[in-house]
Amino acid sequence: MALSPALQLDAAGFSYGAVAALSAVSFAVAPGERVALLGRNGAGKSTLVRLVTGLLHPDEGTVRVGDWDTCDYAPEDLARRVGSVFQHADQQLFARTVREDVSFGPRALGYGEREVARRASDALEALALTAHAAQHPYDLPPALRTLAALAGALALEPAVLVLDEPTVGLDRALRAQVAGALHEHVARGAALLVVTHDLGFAAETLDRGIVLDRGHLAYDEPLATLLASAERLKPLGLVPPAVAALSVALELPGLPVREREAAHTLARVAGAQPRP
Amino acid sequence: MRTRHPFTLLTLAAALPTLAWLLPAPAGALGTAAVAFGLAAAAGVRRVLVPAVVTAAPFWLFLFVLHDLPTTLAIGLRITTMVAGFVWLAAVLAPDRLVEAMVARGWSVTVAYVFAATLSAVPLFRARARRIVEAQRCRGLSPRGSVAKRLRALRALALPLLLSALHEVDERALALETRGLRSGARRTPLAPPPDPALERAARWALLLVCIAALVGRLV
Repeated sequence: MALSPALQLDAAGFSYGAVAALSAVSFAVAPGERVALLGRNGAGKSTLVRLVTGLLHPDEGTVRVGDWDTCDYAPEDLARRVGSVFQHADQQLFARTVREDVSFGPRALGYGEREVARRASDALEALALTAHAAQHPYDLPPALRTLAALAGALALEPAVLVLDEPTVGLDRALRAQVAGALHEHVARGAALLVVTHDLGFAAETLDRGIVLDRGHLAYDEPLATLLASAERLKPLGLVPPAVAALSVALELPGLPVREREAAHTLARVAGAQPRP
Repeated sequence: MRTRHPFTLLTLAAALPTLAWLLPAPAGALGTAAVAFGLAAAAGVRRVLVPAVVTAAPFWLFLFVLHDLPTTLAIGLRITTMVAGFVWLAAVLAPDRLVEAMVARGWSVTVAYVFAATLSAVPLFRARARRIVEAQRCRGLSPRGSVAKRLRALRALALPLLLSALHEVDERALALETRGLRSGARRTPLAPPPDPALERAARWALLLVCIAALVGRLV
C-alpha cells in the first residue's frame, strides 16, 4: 500500500500583486523522501517554502501537510508538523544558551519539560553541538550558529523538514555533519525538502530533484538522472557537481553522482579494490 | 523626487515640520500635512503613504483620549507632518547619494556615513524584523493571545533583532576600519549628484519661508 504523502501541492499558485511567483505547481513528497528543490534565483523556491510553512497561502490550488490544508492553519500551528530553517537562520537565535534556544520550539508548542529536554539533547547530539550547549549562541562562529538554528528545527521533530540553503558558509566537515543529522531524521519517517544551490551537497544527501523555472515545475525526477543531464540543467542556471560530470565524461556504469559510489564504480572498472 | 539633490530632499523634509509648528493651526498644519501626504503618495501609495498613515495613527488615538478636538487637530496634524515627512525622506533619499553629496561639499566622510547609515537602517531593520517574526512563528511562537503572552513573545522577537543588530555593528565597524574610513585622508567623490541652480534657489527660498514664518510667529 502506498504511503499517504507528508506534503502535497496540488496546482498551487501564488502571485505578488501582478507578478506570478508560482503557477500550477503539483507534486507530493512521501514520508522518508529526501527532495532537492532547485532552480535559479527568482524561480519561486522561497515562495514555495513560504507556502509550505504557512507564511503565505496559495492564491490557487492547495498545499497540504499530511491531512492539513495550510490555508486553515497559522505558521505557529503548522510548526507541529513542519520544521523550517530559512536563510540567515542564525539571526533568529536569542536565548542565553544554545540549549535554551534549541528548546524554544518544543516549549512553545507546549511539550512538558522532560520531553523538551529530551528533544533538545537529541537535536544537539545529532549535530555534534552538545559541547557548545552551554555557550551563548552569539559566542559561536556563524557556521555553528547556523547549525544551532537547524538543531532548533530538528527539536520540533517535524513530519516535514524544509531547509532553505542550509549549507551556506559550512565547511566540508560541517556539511557532512548536517547530512548525517538529516539522514537520521529522515530515517525516522520525516520528509525532507531542501532548497539549495549546492548541488554537491544535494547529490550526496538527497534522492529526488524538483526543478522550478520561472514559477513552473520544470523537472521532477531522481536527482541522479537530473544531475547526469548537464544539457537540461544548463539553461536553468545549474551546473552538475564534479562527480556527476566525471561519471558522464567517463561513461561510468550507472552514472553515479555520489563520491563513494563513483569511487567504487571507478575501482571496479579499473579492476582495483576501492579503499574503505 | 529620487533624482533631486539629497540636500533638497533634506531641506524639504526639515521645512515641512518646521512650518507645521510655526504656521497658525489648524490651517497651516493642514497644508503641510497635505503636502507631506502628497509627497508620500507620489513616492508610492503602498510603500510610503500607507506606512506613513499607519505610523501616525496611534498618535491621533492618544491625542483624542487626552485633548479636546481643536488641540487634537492642531497637534495631530503637526505630528502627522513630521511622521509623513520622515517616512517620505527615508523612502526617497538614497544614502549613497547623500554620502557623495556631503563629501563633495567637504564634509568628513565619517560624519556623512553615520548620517547616511542611520537613514538606511530603517528599511534594513524592518526587513530583518519581518524575517525574525516569520522564523519564530515557524518555531511555534504565537503572536496572538493575552497581553502577558504577547509580552513574552516580544522577547523572542526583540532580542534577536537587537543582538543581531549589535553583532552587525561590530562587523560593519571592522569593515569600515579596513576600508580606511578613519584614515583622515580626504575622499574624492566619484559621482557627486548634480545640484542645479534652480534647486539651490528652491532650498534658499524654503529657508527664507521658514524664517519668515518664525518672525511672523514672534511678532
